Amino acid sequence: MLLYILRRLVLLVPILLGLTLLLFIVARILPGDPVGLAAGPNATPELIAQMKREFGLDQPLPLQYWNYLTGLVSGDWGMSVFTRRPVFADILEYLPATIELVFASLFIAVVAGIPLGLLTAVYKNGPLDYATRTLALGGIAMPRFFLGLLLQMAFAAWLDILPLSGRYPLIESPPDHVTGLYTIDALIAGDWSAFQIALSHLALPAIAMALSPLATIMRMMRSSTIEVLQQDYVMTERALGLSNRLILFKYVLKNAMTSTLTVIGLYVSWLLGGTVLVETVFDWPGLGLYATQAILTQDFMPVIGVTLVIAIIYLVAMLVVDLLYGVFNPKVRYA
Amino acid sequence: MTMTPIAIPKRTQSARLENWSRAFYRFRQSWLSIVGLAIVVLLVVIAIFAPWIVPYPEHVVGGTNTAARFQAPSTDAWFGTNALGQDMFSLVLVGSQVSLFSGLAVVFIAIVVGTAVGAIAGYFGGWVDEVLMRITDLLLTIPSLILAMAVAAALGTGVWNMIIAISITWWPAYARLVRGEVIVKKEEQFVVAAHALGANWLRILGKHILPNIVSPIVIKASLDMGFAILTVASLGFVGIGVKPPTPEWGTLLSGARSYMPDYWWTAVAPGIAIFLAVLAFNLLGDGLRDVLDPKARR
Repeated sequence: MLLYILRRLVLLVPILLGLTLLLFIVARILPGDPVGLAAGPNATPELIAQMKREFGLDQPLPLQYWNYLTGLVSGDWGMSVFTRRPVFADILEYLPATIELVFASLFIAVVAGIPLGLLTAVYKNGPLDYATRTLALGGIAMPRFFLGLLLQMAFAAWLDILPLSGRYPLIESPPDHVTGLYTIDALIAGDWSAFQIALSHLALPAIAMALSPLATIMRMMRSSTIEVLQQDYVMTERALGLSNRLILFKYVLKNAMTSTLTVIGLYVSWLLGGTVLVETVFDWPGLGLYATQAILTQDFMPVIGVTLVIAIIYLVAMLVVDLLYGVFNPKVRYA
Repeated sequence: MTMTPIAIPKRTQSARLENWSRAFYRFRQSWLSIVGLAIVVLLVVIAIFAPWIVPYPEHVVGGTNTAARFQAPSTDAWFGTNALGQDMFSLVLVGSQVSLFSGLAVVFIAIVVGTAVGAIAGYFGGWVDEVLMRITDLLLTIPSLILAMAVAAALGTGVWNMIIAISITWWPAYARLVRGEVIVKKEEQFVVAAHALGANWLRILGKHILPNIVSPIVIKASLDMGFAILTVASLGFVGIGVKPPTPEWGTLLSGARSYMPDYWWTAVAPGIAIFLAVLAFNLLGDGLRDVLDPKARR
């Protein structure tokens, strides 16, 4: 098992190498002049040449790539032309906000989606089934940014029970930095009111992002549970007189989980990439906002950095999913 | 000696027609598919005729009427007016053009590129397959929205630049799909027979293999249309893609953000338009899947 994890981690190296090369090529093929944009319209050619030297953009491309690669390993992910700060420091600053948002929405989607999927499979074609299936159809078609705007309108403007945007009130200082996730940090510090403030800011963006994965997880769980319920062993268990609850939670749930797990793993990447939209709506200071700003100023080092981070998290998430298969299905062997 | 006539069952329809009517019967079984089809047809009709049927055609090409800013929905302006006094109803109707056209173009380009790459990788195997599929896999690990945004921003504004940017992130999924199908089909007897008759690879792929894997591609394409429209609107929403005065749903929605919640109608109309279009294509896609791949039905 440990050997399997190690081997998978080693296999990540060539994938990441390929990824950096691909991103580097894409970034350099594309037209666009970040230095020109950053230097402003009145910049002299000398200033632009000096800035190019400063950022190493005057060197030949293969050398630039080599420098970038060696830098990556030592934590030097290049400089942002726009913020004039190291990309790695920027990413470390913005990453916790995004992680908090992604895991909060994934939590909502899993905690609500799996029981709902189970229930609708057991009470197939009942009123709850029709209600949730309609909701699921709508949930997948609903644009996250529009849902976010509607939530803002309903809960922040009209009902006025949740904050409109942001992560924490500007006039107050967030809980002491431990993990960077405000809700977790507040709990660690034992500060109940800070936890409530952080949670109230987190609620709307997390719900806006959770609807689509919730709908998909529910549909997936429903169909795989229906499939498992028709298996022979379920009939045998029924014949042996086991209670419905025992059959459902001890035997069916585990078997229905495997295909749902894949979907959950895929959603980690979808959510990370999709935070761009929700973070824009809620002014959530995460990677998505950072990437959007970098893209709009054609500042490609941060874009490569953010993409790389998201790709690494995605690849690790897929590894975790593969490992979890073994928990739910002991037939899966790691060799 | 007289011949006894053999009773041949009378066919009222040709075989092909019968197939079609059976397919339509299966499609009709779900009223949701019919609803999807109806909305899609309506959208296409609106997109084609929008410039002639909107009540304020001058607003669609950039004309403003600042005397009538932020009018609430009324019989005059069904969806109200925006910050420039433009009629939201006219803008939303014409906005369907960009969304439908870009969605179709993205899916079409993705099918052409993805099918070519996937077919060649699957047919030749070996190192060709390795190289093409590793590139495909790499592109699949990159968050597609961020890549599309970056490429679109670098190429500059414009419908075609946006379409190209989204297509770059879209074809790998088709390449994977087609490769898998080609690998299965190339072992079939009829392919071996075509080989034996001396057909070259282009003929085998184009005449014998690809026509047999059309339905999975069509299924995926119809399910993808809604998602493509959603991506186009997303790019518009973050401020990349089509620039005003060309009306586009995502851009309209993003422009309305600063006037929420007081002038809610400026956001609700384009938002619902995106929602309806995506929903309709999803429903239609589900219906087509039921027809083309009855086994997948649950």
